[in-house]
Amino acid sequence: MIELLSDPWLFITIAVGLFMAWAIGANDAANSMSTAVGAGAITPKQAVIIAGVLEFTGAYLFGKSVTETVRKGIIDASQISDPNVIVYGSIAALLAASLWLLFASKFGLPVSTTHSIIGGIVGYGMVYAGTSIVNWGKMAQVVASWILSPIFGAIVAFVVIKLVSKTILQQKDPIESAKKWAPVWIGLAFVVIGSMFYIKVMHGKSLFIAVSRYGLAAGIGAFLVSFALLRRNFKATDPYWGAEAIFRKVQVLTSAYVALSHGANDVANAVGPVAAVYAVATMGLAGMKVPVPRWILAMGGLGIAIGVATYGYKVMETVGRKITELTNTRGFSIDFSAATVVLVASWLGLPISTTHTVVGAVIGVGLARGVKAINKDIVKDIVISWFVTVPVAAIIAGIVFKILMIVG
Amino acid sequence: MQVWTKLFAKSPFKPLIKHAEVVLETVETLERALEAWDKGEYEAMREYARKVDDLEDFADKIKEEIRDSLSSKLFMPVNRGDILRYLQMQDKIADAAENTAKWLLVRDPNDTPEDLKEEVRSLIMKMSQESIKAAKLVYEAIVQMDRVIESGFGEKEIEREYEIIKEIEGVEHKIDELDTKFMEIIFKNSSRLEWGLGMYLLNIAKTLSNISDRAKDAAERIRLMMNK
Repeated sequence: MIELLSDPWLFITIAVGLFMAWAIGANDAANSMSTAVGAGAITPKQAVIIAGVLEFTGAYLFGKSVTETVRKGIIDASQISDPNVIVYGSIAALLAASLWLLFASKFGLPVSTTHSIIGGIVGYGMVYAGTSIVNWGKMAQVVASWILSPIFGAIVAFVVIKLVSKTILQQKDPIESAKKWAPVWIGLAFVVIGSMFYIKVMHGKSLFIAVSRYGLAAGIGAFLVSFALLRRNFKATDPYWGAEAIFRKVQVLTSAYVALSHGANDVANAVGPVAAVYAVATMGLAGMKVPVPRWILAMGGLGIAIGVATYGYKVMETVGRKITELTNTRGFSIDFSAATVVLVASWLGLPISTTHTVVGAVIGVGLARGVKAINKDIVKDIVISWFVTVPVAAIIAGIVFKILMIVG
Repeated sequence: MQVWTKLFAKSPFKPLIKHAEVVLETVETLERALEAWDKGEYEAMREYARKVDDLEDFADKIKEEIRDSLSSKLFMPVNRGDILRYLQMQDKIADAAENTAKWLLVRDPNDTPEDLKEEVRSLIMKMSQESIKAAKLVYEAIVQMDRVIESGFGEKEIEREYEIIKEIEGVEHKIDELDTKFMEIIFKNSSRLEWGLGMYLLNIAKTLSNISDRAKDAAERIRLMMNK
């Protein structure tokens, strides 16, 4: 490993990869905890620690040990014969994606890290070999996800918040109904979480196995535990507050799951290109899929955790202070809906972005008259940022790549 | 990701409740002024009347702040126009109370004929109590509206809101009756009353009855908020 670092290009790639991991942690990871922090379930400090540890665990233990050099086959790697192109391209893509993420974080725009790196890859690919190298079918899927993710997120969240309020908040005695219905909702949420754990964290393929082996077990377990706990020690005087208190606890768990799966999945965005360069450095060839050494995964996980601790902390602190409009039932509905949409989409093979789905879910809760006020201008900014992510990352990557090809 | 802090805008309902609180305080201070009037303590009466004026100013300030923050950029569970019109009506309750206070400051009613004094005073005090009730109910109605939204427009909470609105309408009706009765008394005795005194008394009654009229208008707006 020491002699590897003496290879200047590999060294640079690792440095840029760490930067990318940090940017992912800064932009995205605070995300997983923000509904819980916003609803007052945990303090910002606790959130940072939980998110940091789980993001690292997810990345290191459950990050994919084999990754595609070009994320999601967005460009045709067989057209690249020169290994140097992979090296320069990976650096350009990582740099472009992390700069864009940094910019987005600065302005508080939730953009997809996956789409950022896709943009970077498309950028250098097109500069190298023209438009023919891009897999436009895959590209169309990415564009489709800008529209599909928020719409599905909104529809499901609308239905979920309506059902939660029908079964709990609107009943004659919300506390009694919460005792009865909360375990059902918690159980359902854990069916989704258990299934997602198999697909997203353990990278399983079959939805049937996911639901039957993991989902149902987690769901039934969660139902029984929450049912027993609510019967035994639950005191509340105000009906709404009482119902909220139940969901407050659940939210910590759903957020923890989001952090774990985010680490497992999104670490690939930072380490994928690094692994590609590593493969070139050690084996001297550019392949479609390369194995990722553990230490690169650990590095990615560490980078994300540092991003959470340094930048995420600030974000979560503001969240904790400023969001007063997000109650626990609403936060739960958003988390639950986003997770369900992502699960069903990955089963159907639809390209869905978690970040985009969450924003859609927030709008859905608003449409269901569940939130008192949503800022329309911010929604507009967010949607614009989604549409410019790929082009902007592509342009920056293209320029960086061109420069590296000339000086390299 | 700061988006969470920006995506959720500050809800206008807490400030609306705060405004209703100040409006209620304005009306309550007016009642204290009228009680002092009733007892013939005119110095205390004037002090309370001036305080009514200050409170009305304060309510105005909160109203302006709410208006400024309620830009069309917000996406809310109730119509923005309905909220703004509701706010206007709620604010007019304080305005009406201020109008009564103004009349109290104009002159002392120490020249009411002895045989009328008791009737006039008891009617005015009754109207004042009822207008307090109206203002209190409006406060309850806006707090309840917050609960309606909190419950995701739960039927039980909407029902309770309709009950409060009905109560407000009942109070308004009662004050209207008292006002009519008061006018009859004044006109029946118009030949014995100095014109200035008649005008003074009639206007106190009229402005008091305005308080409940505005309360009723506010209640109407809350009804509209629920039927989007």
